[in-house]
Amino acid sequence: MKRRASILFQSLLTTVVLAAAVLVFPGRAAAQDGKPLAIAIVTNPQTRTSDLSFLELRKIFLGDKQFWDDNSRIVLLVRAPVARERDVVLNKIYRMSESQFQQYWIAKVFRAEVSSKPKIVYSADMTRELVTALPGSIGFVTADQVTSGMKVLRVNGKLPGEPGYPLQ
Amino acid sequence: MRFVTGLTAIGLLALGVAPTPALAQHQMPEASAVPPTVVLGFADIDYVETERSIDEGFVLGQLVGHVSSGLSDRLTFFGEVSATAHPDEYKIEVERLILRYDFNDQLKLSGGRYHTPINYWNTAFHHGLWLQTTVSRPEMIKFGSKLLPVHFVGLQAEGSFPVTRLGIGYAAGFGNGRAGNIARAGDSGDINQHRAVLGLIYARPAEIYGLQVGGAAYVDKASADDGPDVDERIVSAHAVLARESPEILAEYAHIVHEPSSGGETTDSDAWYVQLAYRLPEPAEELKPYARVERDKVPDDDPLFGPFDLAYEGFLAGVRYDFASLAALKLEYRTERFAHDDRKASLWVQVAFTFGGR
Repeated sequence: MKRRASILFQSLLTTVVLAAAVLVFPGRAAAQDGKPLAIAIVTNPQTRTSDLSFLELRKIFLGDKQFWDDNSRIVLLVRAPVARERDVVLNKIYRMSESQFQQYWIAKVFRAEVSSKPKIVYSADMTRELVTALPGSIGFVTADQVTSGMKVLRVNGKLPGEPGYPLQ
Repeated sequence: MRFVTGLTAIGLLALGVAPTPALAQHQMPEASAVPPTVVLGFADIDYVETERSIDEGFVLGQLVGHVSSGLSDRLTFFGEVSATAHPDEYKIEVERLILRYDFNDQLKLSGGRYHTPINYWNTAFHHGLWLQTTVSRPEMIKFGSKLLPVHFVGLQAEGSFPVTRLGIGYAAGFGNGRAGNIARAGDSGDINQHRAVLGLIYARPAEIYGLQVGGAAYVDKASADDGPDVDERIVSAHAVLARESPEILAEYAHIVHEPSSGGETTDSDAWYVQLAYRLPEPAEELKPYARVERDKVPDDDPLFGPFDLAYEGFLAGVRYDFASLAALKLEYRTERFAHDDRKASLWVQVAFTFGGR
């Protein structure tokens, strides 16, 4: 009984120390700038799909849907951290924080639910180059960064800038 | 020698196969649909004080290496190797070794060694302790569990219908059942002429993010060392809300054993419910949790009887994510094993992952 009381006391004491540590060393996550941006979902021009529902888009970005309707593999491109369009995609499509996003993909790969994480791109130019060169690829850029060689998908029947478009 | 060989294997998995993130940074990704090689590592360091008759003090947990590598745009290899500290050696184990061909979202065929998909925890967290909220697995599916077959060697078909209202998914397997040591899979062949068959079906409704409900069944003939042949039938169910606030995990398994030569049928039941809640800012690094679990196993079960698998446990703890890929867990447990008295323990664990950025 004495031993049990000692263990319980140690548990409580450590909890108090832990709580104190959290107060002394405040949260690491900085607040996100939620300023709305029109984000265009772009694919390789050979992709037959032209319109996705928001549910389909979400399932693609979550790695749950890994093949296009013509059975070709989807290759997901995601901007590296700091890019504002990444923040919008994390907020509106993933509904995750940066650390939740990291944990999500580590778990997804570890569970063998996907063969790999998304390809990380560091600029809109890199997105354009890969989308142009890689059949089945899908990525995102701000609407003013759309160039030739990209196919812009409608989401819920809307294009970026149109009323009701869900990514702006 | 075995230790060195094993650690070398894990080292290769964890460090040597893929380019380091530093080298890969800001390089243009390869314009190829073939999945690249991805390497992940998991490890944990624990401290335990307990009334139980087990060693106390600092405990090195498992060092786990995971690799996935695309051989073509549809053919992928997955491997998971662990090194576990034992009193006189490190035990090296190939936890998973899978070669899978993806036809499409609805059909993926594979062969190899799996974590048996009749238990949610077994396939959601594998050996990545950083991924799970608590220090350890529920007793029903703990590492080396005899209650449920943790591993499965054979063939598996799986798939999902992701863009549907219910988000239905499935898995079906055919392969070797338990080995003579019933905690192990038949890695080098089935111990008898009866292959194990399993099926899993689950739903991930689109409207409720993180929700998964499902059920599974497993049928085999088990032939334990020095024990009778037993027809084994397992049915299980799970309901999971895989969120941070709240996180809810609940699983149940019912195991029926019938001696093949005739005799009384026995029924065992195992369940757990786990709740956790990540606190809001400014304490969002903290995630308090609690779990209650019970394994009810008859003493005269022809397969489980000799192992005293009955268990009752309650635990409560707090997880502190002090870095994005590392967590400190503090856990108080009170447990009763078989007919023993209830015993208390304090566990502290640092669990982390590496290579996943």
